[in-house]
Amino acid sequence: MSAYDYSREEFAAVFAELQKTYQIYGPKRFVGRGRFSDTDLVRYAPLASLDELELAEKSSLSPKSLVFPADETIFHFNDHEFSQPQLKENGEIIVLLRPCDINGIARLDKMFLENGGQADPYYQRRRQRLHFFMIECRESFENCFCVSMKSNTTDNYEVALRFAGDRVAAQIKDQRYEGLFGQKGRAGSFSPEFVSENDKQVELPTVETMPAEMFNHKMWEEYDSRCIACGRCNTSCVTCSCFSTVDLFYADSRQCGERRRVWDGCHLDGFSDMAGGHSFRKNKGERMRFKAFHKIYDFRKRFGFDMCVGCGRCDDVCPEYISFSSCINKLSRTLKGGSDK
Amino acid sequence: MSLDLNRKTVTKNAFRITKRRNYTAIRIRVPGGHLNASQIARIAKIAEQFGDGNLHITTRQGFEIPNIPFAKMAEVNAALRPLIEELELEHGVKIDNPAAGYPAAGMRNISACIGNRTCPFANTDTTGLAQRIEAVVYPHDFHTKIAITGCPNDCIKAHMQDFGIIAICIPEYDYDQCIGCEACVKACQRKVTGALDMNGSKVVRDERRCIGCGECVLACPISAWTRKPGKYYRLLVMGRTGKKNPRLAMPFLDRVNEEVVTKVIANTMAYVDRYILRCLPKEHIGYIVDRTGFNVFRDEVLQGVVLNPEARMAKTIQWPGYNTLNDANLKTPK
Amino acid sequence: MSGNPYQPFPVKITKIVSESDVEFTMTVDASLDMVPGQFFQISLPKIGEAPISISNYGKNWLQFTIRAVGRLTGAIQSLRVGENLFIRGPYGHGFPVEKLANSNLIIVAGGSGAAPVRPLVSQIVAGTLPVKSLKLITGFKSKESILFTEDIQSWKQKCDMTLTIDKPQEGWNGDTGLVTEHIRRLKLDLPDDYQVIVVGPPVMMKFATAEFRLLGVPVDNVWVSFERLMSCGLGKCGHCKIDSTYICVDGPVMNLSHASTLID
Repeated sequence: MSAYDYSREEFAAVFAELQKTYQIYGPKRFVGRGRFSDTDLVRYAPLASLDELELAEKSSLSPKSLVFPADETIFHFNDHEFSQPQLKENGEIIVLLRPCDINGIARLDKMFLENGGQADPYYQRRRQRLHFFMIECRESFENCFCVSMKSNTTDNYEVALRFAGDRVAAQIKDQRYEGLFGQKGRAGSFSPEFVSENDKQVELPTVETMPAEMFNHKMWEEYDSRCIACGRCNTSCVTCSCFSTVDLFYADSRQCGERRRVWDGCHLDGFSDMAGGHSFRKNKGERMRFKAFHKIYDFRKRFGFDMCVGCGRCDDVCPEYISFSSCINKLSRTLKGGSDK
Repeated sequence: MSLDLNRKTVTKNAFRITKRRNYTAIRIRVPGGHLNASQIARIAKIAEQFGDGNLHITTRQGFEIPNIPFAKMAEVNAALRPLIEELELEHGVKIDNPAAGYPAAGMRNISACIGNRTCPFANTDTTGLAQRIEAVVYPHDFHTKIAITGCPNDCIKAHMQDFGIIAICIPEYDYDQCIGCEACVKACQRKVTGALDMNGSKVVRDERRCIGCGECVLACPISAWTRKPGKYYRLLVMGRTGKKNPRLAMPFLDRVNEEVVTKVIANTMAYVDRYILRCLPKEHIGYIVDRTGFNVFRDEVLQGVVLNPEARMAKTIQWPGYNTLNDANLKTPK
Repeated sequence: MSGNPYQPFPVKITKIVSESDVEFTMTVDASLDMVPGQFFQISLPKIGEAPISISNYGKNWLQFTIRAVGRLTGAIQSLRVGENLFIRGPYGHGFPVEKLANSNLIIVAGGSGAAPVRPLVSQIVAGTLPVKSLKLITGFKSKESILFTEDIQSWKQKCDMTLTIDKPQEGWNGDTGLVTEHIRRLKLDLPDDYQVIVVGPPVMMKFATAEFRLLGVPVDNVWVSFERLMSCGLGKCGHCKIDSTYICVDGPVMNLSHASTLID
């Protein structure tokens, strides 16, 4: 392991050098593309240069689309055969992301690579080409509760980067970058620090088995009227991994078509609908309970750690001001016999 | 002792003849309806010092301070100077002598909804636009009403103006980002024109039906719908209230940029100058268009205007309204 | 991407039998190993894909009994013999055949729940899966909605069977009433000795299993099968998750001791 210091210009040259071999993704600001007019959208995208890296604001969409796109064609077909689409770019990808999101992708790995006993090939081929460059994150954004979720730290990265004013420091964990980084920088001593305290804290439920009465507890009822089932909490979440498949055929070549898989979410209408009309979770409160339990209880039963990484994006984007972190605390208080208010 | 006043000069100076002899009321312009608290304090002070401590919020978002003695006009104008500087000069309005009060009153205050400084639905900063248009059209003596609304909800009632400017957006669709949740389709069908529809798991937009409100952008949980960069407007023309023929303003230009809107309004002033019947005490702009016909109006106001590529234009306009003559239809119920 | 688990393969349709107004059974050519109670993801390219349980199978053939209630199932209904259906599977855990062999077995099936138990009953009456005794209770809404009428005729000859419709109906001389009423009438001298399978709509399974518990059948001896929306069958898509259980890979057949803890 080694460390180097750079001026921003020097690091921009390293960045440009890396781009000869890798496509680099990171949070990028799209001016005027926010939900409200004259607001911006920050989401993960290929960066043309270091200047496009957005560090001042949390991205409203997570980097999960790099491994699990919102909409992905899984087959093309004609009337008698299937073919699988190639990835447009086959090259290696460096993604600049924070510890919570690195931990988030580790959760996705559990679902897509392990659950059910076989790896999802579409996820796997995208995941294989990712290299994590960790953006050091010492101060939390609004709504973050990563410390409570123990996802504030990670060593799952190849390079760690500190951006401090016009200085950049790098810690190199993977030898392959040594030459490139060493060439342009001065030897330093940078070792990344992690957020150690968030403004928001959650108390996680400690039960091994959720008492049955909690499934229909009245604490969920408030969400029946508060939640509007827009699904923003699902789409913004780095760990939400549910999808549906849809088929389509081409209007001008009806023999040919595609099967695609698109993000779905437990808050969206139709998620639990059966053919014939039965729906298992009609009420929004039931959907909130389903999501909450998955994020902080039943995922842990299956995989040994909680799904939620506390990035707080669901709280950032909820148009109805529903706070998931408050919900977790409410649940824990209720479990301990306290007030659900 | 009654005063000897030139009524026309006084009126042009934004003072009005009131019921109460020898007393006037001053109208204060607030372009875009937005001002800061210290400006309000200044206005309050004028009301206390020269009036009777009351003030009225006008329908066009200005202030009117009643019960000021005509004798105090010069002092009031002096007191107005900082307001004129901050609310007019600062936004580029050319006023030769700001110490002499408002130089014109024909061009009415440009009103605006709260716009995107606050409202999530608004497609633009309506106040900012009002201030920029103010710099183009004020001072001017022709009686003209302009209002700007941030979205087709039209909270400011742009449909009742000579020029009603509706800020719109041109929604852009990221096909690969769409998850087919139908939120936009439902929003458009429930609240707007049903311009969106599902085609399989994707959304198609009927460009002719889309009014650019931005509901799809607001509804989309994954930013598959975003606003095309740039600001776009729908320009409604020649709506009016009044004693003869109240009617709604109708779309003349759509998806046009600010430059087009501003130039068309500026050209209209020249058009009015050319066609107004000066034999009348005042002729309202909409009635001039009634006389010249829409085509003459259109050709005159589009002179030198370069329409942006997205622009659409009305072929012809039928203004919905009614003639108050029809009041003969109203009878006392038995 | 060889061995892509999402890729279906074509199977030729050899026979289509109409079961009721909306249900039909489709036989396809396929030589696959499977267990009663498992399911396949069935698809029609350009329309979509859905999980369908195996309603019978043999060495070279496989059957699905499908309710034409949606766009996909409706399109499948319009297929003809000789055309291809696309399938992948089998998926999930089927019935615990080892535990059922040589047991006193009671099978209760409601409505389309008759489909997943049909291969099991067929194997028992054919003698390939020997049991000590078999009691079969099948319930349908009306006489028109009865499935597998031919099989039922032969099953009646070979095992103790109750066929009931929910309410008395003109031209129906057989049993009536919900399956729960018929369960209640069972006399089980040694309830510990029975294995019980209950498959049907969620509400029916809830009440039917409760009746068996009242009769003293141990919870570990009761098996149910869940039907849920699924997009993958592989434990990825998340639709069928209940608590920490994925119905597609941990079910669809589950012991009641586990299934009764699952709240959607």
